Amino acid sequence: MADEEEDPAFEEENEEIGGGAEGGQGKRKRLFSKELRCMMYGFGDDQNPYTESVDILEDLVIEFITEMTHKAMSIGRQGRVQVEDIVFLIRKDPRKFARVKDLLTMNEELKRARKAFDEANYGS
Amino acid sequence: METGRQAGVSAEMFALPRGLKGSNMDGIPEDLDGNLEEPRDQEGKLRSQDVMDLTEGDNEASASAPPAAKRLKTDTKGKKERKPTVDAEEAQRMSTLLSAMSEEQLARYEVCRGSAFPKARVARLMRSISCSSESENTAIAMAGIAKVLVGEVVEEALDVCEMWGETPPLQPKHLREAVCRLKPKGLFPNSNYKKNQVLLGRRPEGQVCLCRNKYCIQSWYDRTMFAGVSACQSTLDLPQS
Repeated sequence: MADEEEDPAFEEENEEIGGGAEGGQGKRKRLFSKELRCMMYGFGDDQNPYTESVDILEDLVIEFITEMTHKAMSIGRQGRVQVEDIVFLIRKDPRKFARVKDLLTMNEELKRARKAFDEANYGS
Repeated sequence: METGRQAGVSAEMFALPRGLKGSNMDGIPEDLDGNLEEPRDQEGKLRSQDVMDLTEGDNEASASAPPAAKRLKTDTKGKKERKPTVDAEEAQRMSTLLSAMSEEQLARYEVCRGSAFPKARVARLMRSISCSSESENTAIAMAGIAKVLVGEVVEEALDVCEMWGETPPLQPKHLREAVCRLKPKGLFPNSNYKKNQVLLGRRPEGQVCLCRNKYCIQSWYDRTMFAGVSACQSTLDLPQS
């Protein structure tokens, strides 16, 4: 059952992503290898996770982003991906929803703080 | 109130646990309770955390310049629309938690907070799919959600690993099993999962065909909610019950 989830996703990624140096069939440059390793360690895995595990997670993440982007393009303003669309698609999942809200709020605060900081620098 | 200054970014205050460890962590909760006569060194440490927030997880910024930090303090003092007590409590809880962690846990926590998907690469991926440029916030939101997704999968996989009695370096089979388990919970965007269709199973007792004919012989298996009368295969013309 798990293989069904991965094989269509695999083909889909090859169609969508040109990637860096695309060699033969199914060869795509690994986009998130380093960050994923750090993340897996942070979330509880070993300090050196298996490469195959990292690959599986990267495929999962890319499939997730791809699906979300496609869905976001089809709702709201067609052909564009907007934050409101992402928030709408995520509404059923409490953790992700809360995280998106937090991130956007914090981003606004940081921007305001930076602006105030720069203005203070400019003034003094 | 002093806490008004730090409120709102207190969740990020502990982005660098090691930097925090050196300071008087036991002193901080008492000070955040509103005691305005803080010792100078503690104040310096608290300011430096604010500057570290601005550098957004830059783990090398352990020795931020105090003058810049003090200037920041005077600026953010004006923003009073926070809830001081809630964040004071949260900061206190965080500091208690951090003081109770072991070295290994602190290292792991530091990596957990500091790791993220690079926004540029996520934006490039999304652009290659949607063929249109997005705002900065879109990539930020998507990167954040992707990180939560990785966290959920890895946690479930660790549960699976423990349940099967194996040791930590996660193997692909754990990850696949974790994904299988998480799919019905709706954590992945999936248009294949038809929630409206009747799932295979025994015909529940007392259920009748939509045509209301209780002698209808149509199987429960091949009926969806939208079948309606036309789907009824019943050939018995008995009076409606």
